[in-house]
Amino acid sequence: MKLSVNGTPRDVDPSRSPTLLAALRDQLELTGAKLGCDHGECGACTVRLNGDLVYACLTLTAACDGAAVQTVEGLADGGTLHPLQQAFITHDAAQCGYCTPGQLLAAAALLDQRPHPTDDEIRTAMSGNLCRCGTYPKIVTAIRSVADASGASATRADAPPSATGDAP
Amino acid sequence: MSGSRDAKSARFVQTIVEVEGRTETRIVEVPAFEPAPWTADAPLTIVGTSPPRVDAFEKVTGRARYTADTVRPGMLHAVIVRAPIAKGTLTSLDLTTVRTLPGVRGALGPGDAPSATRLFRREVSYAGQPLAAVCAESLQDAERAAAVLEASLAFDRVPHAVTVDDAIAADAPLVRRGGNATEPTIVERGDVTQGLADADVTITREYRTPVALHSALEPHGAVCEWTGDHLTIWESTQGIFRVRSDVARALDLPQGQVRVLKDYMGGGFGAKNGAGAHTYTAALFARALGAPVRCLNDRRAEQTDSGNRPATVQKVTVGARRDGTLTAIVLDALVPLGVSGWDGGPAQVYHEMYACPNIRTTETCVYINASGMQAFRGPGYVEGAFALEGAINALAHALQIDPVALRLTNLATRDDRVDREFSSNRLAECYAEGMRRFGWTSAVPPRPSTVSRLRRGRGVAAQTWPTGGGPPAYANVRINSDGSVDVLTGTQDLGTGSRTILAQIAAEALGARLDAVRAVIGDTERLPYAGNSWGSMTTPSVGPAVRMAADDARTQLLEAAAQLLETPVDRLTTRGSQVLRDGVAARSFAELCRALGKLQIVGHGSRGPNPALAVVTVGAQFAEVEVDAETGIVRVLRLVAVHDAGRIINPALAESQLHGGIIQGIGYAVFEERHIDRTHGAPLNANLHDYKVPTMADIPAIDASFLDGADPAANHVGARGIAEPPIIPTAPAIAAAVADALGVELCALPLTPWRVLGALAG
Ligand code: FES
Ligand code: FES
Repeated sequence: MKLSVNGTPRDVDPSRSPTLLAALRDQLELTGAKLGCDHGECGACTVRLNGDLVYACLTLTAACDGAAVQTVEGLADGGTLHPLQQAFITHDAAQCGYCTPGQLLAAAALLDQRPHPTDDEIRTAMSGNLCRCGTYPKIVTAIRSVADASGASATRADAPPSATGDAP
Repeated sequence: MSGSRDAKSARFVQTIVEVEGRTETRIVEVPAFEPAPWTADAPLTIVGTSPPRVDAFEKVTGRARYTADTVRPGMLHAVIVRAPIAKGTLTSLDLTTVRTLPGVRGALGPGDAPSATRLFRREVSYAGQPLAAVCAESLQDAERAAAVLEASLAFDRVPHAVTVDDAIAADAPLVRRGGNATEPTIVERGDVTQGLADADVTITREYRTPVALHSALEPHGAVCEWTGDHLTIWESTQGIFRVRSDVARALDLPQGQVRVLKDYMGGGFGAKNGAGAHTYTAALFARALGAPVRCLNDRRAEQTDSGNRPATVQKVTVGARRDGTLTAIVLDALVPLGVSGWDGGPAQVYHEMYACPNIRTTETCVYINASGMQAFRGPGYVEGAFALEGAINALAHALQIDPVALRLTNLATRDDRVDREFSSNRLAECYAEGMRRFGWTSAVPPRPSTVSRLRRGRGVAAQTWPTGGGPPAYANVRINSDGSVDVLTGTQDLGTGSRTILAQIAAEALGARLDAVRAVIGDTERLPYAGNSWGSMTTPSVGPAVRMAADDARTQLLEAAAQLLETPVDRLTTRGSQVLRDGVAARSFAELCRALGKLQIVGHGSRGPNPALAVVTVGAQFAEVEVDAETGIVRVLRLVAVHDAGRIINPALAESQLHGGIIQGIGYAVFEERHIDRTHGAPLNANLHDYKVPTMADIPAIDASFLDGADPAANHVGARGIAEPPIIPTAPAIAAAVADALGVELCALPLTPWRVLGALAG
């Protein structure tokens, strides 16, 4: 069975790896998508399937015939990091880093759909990706910085109150 | 205890080290020299700045390899079969059929593992206990075989006790042979009877805290591979040397035949401090089958049998005079540990948080038929502070005194628990800075409105936690012939950033560019010893060893440069990977090392003894919440945290540690609780759907900061630990805010809608 993975045609055998996550990790040796629960609970395995976000652990390999899959390994453009990757580095948005590949793909999908999300939209869109290290505030900052750098201004009217009392 | 060693002084001395809040006396070597402390105003240029993590690139590109990603040629996969019942005897299982299934290469059951591994026993004492294991060519085959094996298990069941109340009932089934409750540990100072008699006001409450699960995103796991009689283990662990000694002991091997490697790991939080069933299972199969074996917990095993923060029941009485001066604190605590564990001890924080002359704590550990506890970020103090700080807030309300003012009245000025002065304790400044940032006013707030649906409230709580670290910890700093620098130390980076901050410390001390310095960690065979990364100890333990090693390397480099440049050494310094003569760049490290040929410069460093002082990290947190009185949902709106941990090596990474602790604290306050079915004895929410950890949507605005400064009396780097302190005050601050919002105190965590609605219904 053929897949396009990060732009490269690849062969996988669905009978050896029922889930897309197992196919990526075990057959294609792409271990960027992480195994956190194997049951659609954590988001560590998040990849993009024909542009859509999916939990690879809940995606049947056999259903992906001919599909285009993007994993974290395919996020950079050659030697140039994706702006989100750079922002995650700059804003310390990865502690242990185990959730990071999934967070990056979820963030990339969000910004493709809504280039200028509000903070609330970021929080909602990203809530399927757990981070037990508690990197969330910095992930929001990183996504925000990429969204803000890409031009038009976003409305932030529905942002939660600032942590400090003297802000509005 | 710095200064140079003369011939008469002892080479080995006793020192006191606090690990996870417990005090140990150790014999340690006195280093040959210790650098003069970096004081608060030391002109540092790399330490105290926030370069990105040195391994951030690997993490954002997917190149970072975790234990779960480790593949070895011909690797097999092992799966552990676990008990579905809480107590009884395994009467039969069918290993024979399982061994014939497709892909299966081996199966282990009762009697097949050395007794020191404690694996595969027939006596079942908790659900999730390992009973057998299978090993197959693929994980899929192993899982299928495990399911067949599981279906073949038969048991004689006997009654169990999975709650503290069931375990201490008069007719309780025996969980452990020696009895279900330990002898109470009573610690007392002063005279609480007199203290209570002297009080104008006393408050008594019973607090209950839940079992919380570490829930690291990367499950426990190991890959084991034998080469002859040597075993190599890739393990997701907080303590490579501890895994080595555990495995060597259990398999009766010399430590030199066991090598433990750890590169990246997906979180630990206290649950990954040694070898586990997965390690032994992988090692035994790998030896028997002559192939590398990987054994990873699945999520259910991870949420069932990989450690937990034990529940507590804490009955607290505090007494005070009308002006707020504490006269007595009394605690009676029950701690259901599971089938095993150590007393993480909610009591300890009661003895060091406040200056109170009369304190008595009584702790009784209880064994229940559930997986044993493990240290979990701030063990004991998180549970203890929830109750102690809750009682202090209740006292403030009863006295109509501002809760910050009440705390300042009773501020500890020395550590009465260990009877020592503090190296530094700036908690009063943390309160002041936190109040300023939060906009906290000392006026006692008006009674909350009980008519509106959405009710807001504010609360405060504080923390202390021993973070001095200590010996032994060793490091070498090696200057390569191209001028690049390797920092070699057998510590580990859990995601905290230790790789980065150790490189910063070395670069600072050596006068090297940070990008020329690499920290090599996580290998028991090639690196000098460093202890477990627990107890917020890595920075204050390993940091000084690294600094000393870098100092030693710098001295050697300068002495060699003095010869080469024919210049007295006191005219030479280093900066930016250059040797400077009279402040002017003379040679780069690379040029110098090239000129020195094959001469190898290796500096050695070790962590010196601890000062005879109490070294603690302190902090205060302020929370604002909104409670929906109709649904019972608690929303944390904002959280302000100010902590003092001495010198901060990398402010951005330190802030991330605060975020992480606070967010886990929010989970503990509002969502997280393990449930075990009382009748069947098995866990009900052993997954990440039903065991709720915070998601991004649950996180409020967090303003987390540290006081500027350094603690040169603690160690010569001036830094204390920071990983555990921030989780400690979060839940009590949130609970206080909920009480403020509702006008009703909730004394049990988590603050679920059911509890809130129950409290409102009276
Ligand atoms: S591994 Fe797929 S959601 Fe957790
Ligand atoms: S960075 Fe560790 S789980 Fe997110």
